[in-house]
This record gives sequence, structure tokens and C-alpha cells, in this order.
Amino acid sequence: MPVAERSRRLVVLVWLVAVIAAWELGAFLLADVFHDAMAASKLPFLHDIAATIAKNWPSLLEAAGVTFSKAAIGFGLGALFGYLLAVLMSVSRIAESIAFPYLIVSQMIPVLGLAPIIFTLVRDMNASRIVIAAYITFFPVAASTLSGFKSVDEEKRQLMRSYAATMPVLYLKLLVPFSVPYLFAGLKIAAPLSVTASILVDMLGSKNGIGVKLLYALYGGAKDIFWASVLTSAAMGVFSYLFIAQAEKVLVPWRKSLPSSAGGQSA
Amino acid sequence: MGKVPDRLKKFLWPAVFGLGFLLAWQLGGFHALLGFKPFQLPVPTEIVRTLAENMPKALGDCFVTVSGAIAGMLIGSSIGFAVAALATAFPAWGYGGLIVLSAFNAVPIVALSPIMNRWFPTGMGQKIGVVTVVTMAAMAINAYRGLSDLKPFSLDLMRSYAARKRTVFFSLRLPNCLPSVFTALKINITSAMIAAIVSEYFASSTSGLGFGIKDNLRKAEMAMGWAYITIASVAGIALFLVIAAIERRAIRWHPSQR
Repeated sequence: MPVAERSRRLVVLVWLVAVIAAWELGAFLLADVFHDAMAASKLPFLHDIAATIAKNWPSLLEAAGVTFSKAAIGFGLGALFGYLLAVLMSVSRIAESIAFPYLIVSQMIPVLGLAPIIFTLVRDMNASRIVIAAYITFFPVAASTLSGFKSVDEEKRQLMRSYAATMPVLYLKLLVPFSVPYLFAGLKIAAPLSVTASILVDMLGSKNGIGVKLLYALYGGAKDIFWASVLTSAAMGVFSYLFIAQAEKVLVPWRKSLPSSAGGQSA
Repeated sequence: MGKVPDRLKKFLWPAVFGLGFLLAWQLGGFHALLGFKPFQLPVPTEIVRTLAENMPKALGDCFVTVSGAIAGMLIGSSIGFAVAALATAFPAWGYGGLIVLSAFNAVPIVALSPIMNRWFPTGMGQKIGVVTVVTMAAMAINAYRGLSDLKPFSLDLMRSYAARKRTVFFSLRLPNCLPSVFTALKINITSAMIAAIVSEYFASSTSGLGFGIKDNLRKAEMAMGWAYITIASVAGIALFLVIAAIERRAIRWHPSQR
């Protein structure tokens, strides 16, 4: 197993190097072979971007921190409410029949489209970052936690019943531990989404944050800062996903990660 | 007969809740609760009236967004599927490629849109570019799972027939991956609509649902903004249902459809 794991890591590493090489080659072709006048803004050399990041990292990190922390608060709140709704739906039939159709429909509609509307309603940029990140986290977490509660085998429930387990004990000892991988499947979908939502609010008219840097660089013509901000925000999305995946490994060591359908409402 | 009331109940609860929600909204319950002024949060009847008045324009914008979303989704899903097929053919190296590709899934749309703005001169090209990137990963990962998670011994059976790789692919792997492909398509159609709308927030073009939402909110035409959101949601649901209907016809044999 460790050998397979190591060779798998090696393969990923080789791929990463290949992607970086392809990027550099693409930038070289654009700039020095085709002499594209826009080369530096279309696809600058990766090492140039790295240099910009190295030069501007304090301000980039500060902006990313503002955006990321609000996304994290909203993500936490949304996950909490989503989880509570899932518990409520699993306890009460009526609650389930009311909320379930809306949960299903919510996965079909472009929720991120609502961001500007919420922004105009809430007005305060920090509050709307949190509200939108929470709102976007809420649905996938509620839906996948509920499906976790529902996937508990009937025999296990019956066993608990035969012990005359009370409701809280049933949840604490059976349903909650069983559904943790499902919860994480939802969290993994929601984490990059909440970062995207937070950046989107930045760009709709905030005063600070990585999205503002992106927007200023876009219209102000500072193309090196633009690409540095793009890479920073991409890194934020990837980081949020990896953080949750790592948390799952630490918190749920007894179970392999759920083979959920990957993707979700993509970031 | 005994089942009918049950089914009716299943429909009635959410319907009553939805109507109550709309009524509370209409009668100013949310305005009182959250301190919104009427001009900030238009009531449902006003949204519907605005939508009815501006239907041709809204539908035109909807068409622009939906066609961009569908084109991008088809391109992105095809690329994703091709990557999955390659990864199945060359598992040792292909799997790493899949992981790298799935990292694209975490790149925020808001960062992709301005990049595509620079690569493509037209709003439509930019939209299709963003949607393509956003839909690749989900298809690649799901299709790979469908192509490689075969029933136990089915591969051995094919080998015992001395089946060629091509035959294994078309007779065993391809039918086996259809359910996962449809799962990916259902994920992708929603992401495609989101990506198309969000990319329009930043595009230079002056059409599409995203532009409509942003432009109307800037002009403080809240009702029109909400009307656009309504259209976008209806379009999203309709597209999803179309894919689900195709799925039902295409994989009638699969247990998930019974």
C-alpha cells in the first residue's frame, strides 16, 4: 500500500511539473514565436507571476485573509444550519415533506445568481459575504447529511430500538457517527463554493478583499497583479477543499472517504 | 385508492408552505421583520407584473445565456469524458492526470471569467470558455468511475472470450458508465448555468441573464432584477428536468430508474 501510494504521488507530481512546463511553453510561444501584443496579459510566464506574488505577498495575503475569513464564518454558519435542518427533517416527517422538495429544487437553480440581489439587500459588505457564503453552504450540507441519516441500515435502527434507546442516544450513538462521511461529502462541495461566493461579493462593490484586487487590476491594467490575484484566489479554492478533505481524514479515521459523485455545483 | 391521500399530503405540505411564504412576502412580513423598504425588496406580484411586461427582452437574454451554457457544457463534458477514457486506457498515468484536472474544479468562476475575457473577444466565446472549464472535472471524475467500477468478474468474462480492448470498451465499459455520465450531466447543467450567469457579470457584452441582473440592480430596478432571477431559476429547473427525462429513456435498465 505505501509503495502504491508513493508511486501515485509521484505520478501526480510529474503531472504538476508537466502542467507548469506546458504553461511556460504556451507563454513562450505566445510572446516570442507568435509575437502576440497581448501576450503578457493573455498568458504571462508562470515564473513572472511567481515573482509578482513573491514581491506582493503581504498585500495579497491580507486581501485573501479578509475574503477567506468571511467565507469561513459563512461556511460554518451555513453548515450548522444545514445540519440542523437535516436533523429536523429526519426527526419530523412533516418537516421533511415541507423542506425536501425545496432542497431538491435548490440544487437545480443558479443560486450564485442571487448574490448581487442579496448584496443590494444587506448593503453591508462583510455581512453579505457571510450571508451569501452561508446560504450557498446550507443546501448541499443539508441534502447530503439527510441522505446520510437515511442510509442507516434498518437493522441497526432496530437494534437501537431493542435497547430502548432514547431519541438523543439514537442520534448520538448511531445516526450522527454514521452520517459523518455524508456530511463531509456535502462540506467538500460547499467549501470552494463559499470561497467563490465571498470573492464574488468582493467584486460586486466591496472595499477590500482579493476580489477587489482582481477587479482593480482588471480595469486598472496592472496585469501582473491581476494574474497574481487569480492564482491566489484559485489557491484559496483549492486550499478550502484540501482543508476539509484533511479534516475528514483526521476526524473520521475509521472510514474511507465516501465515494460520492464528485463535483457538485462547481466552483 | 388508499395511497392517493398520502401522495396528496406529500404535495400539499410544501405547497402550503410555499404559498404561506409568498403571502408573507406579499403582505410585507419580511419587510417588517428585516427592516427592508418596499423599493429594496419588491413583492411577488410586482415581480410577476414586471416580468410579464418585459417578457420578450427577458426571454432573449435567457436564450443567450442558456445557449452559451449548453454549448460550454457539451464541450466541457466531451473533454472530460475523453480524459476519463484516456485515464481508463492508461490507468497508471491517467489517474494522476484526473487529479490534476479535478483541481480545476476548485478554481473560482470569478477568477476564470476575467481570464476568458482576455482570451476571447466576444461575450459568447468568454461564456463558453468559462463553462467549458467548469464542467470538465465533474464529467471526467464521474465517467472514470463508471468506466472502471465494473461488476466483479465481468472483466474476467470478457477476457475469457479473448475480447479485444475495443470490444471491452464498447460492450462493457461504455454501457456501465452511462449512469455516472448522467449524474455528471445533471451536476454540470446546474454549474453551467451558474458559470454562464456569473461570467456575464464580468463580461463586456450587453446581453444575457447575468448582465440583466447586474444592470437592473445598478439602475435600482429591483423588480426587474428579481424577474431575471426568476427566469434564470425556471430555466435551470427546466434544463435539469430535460436531462433527467433523457436519462430515464437512456438507462431504463438501471436499478436507479425503477
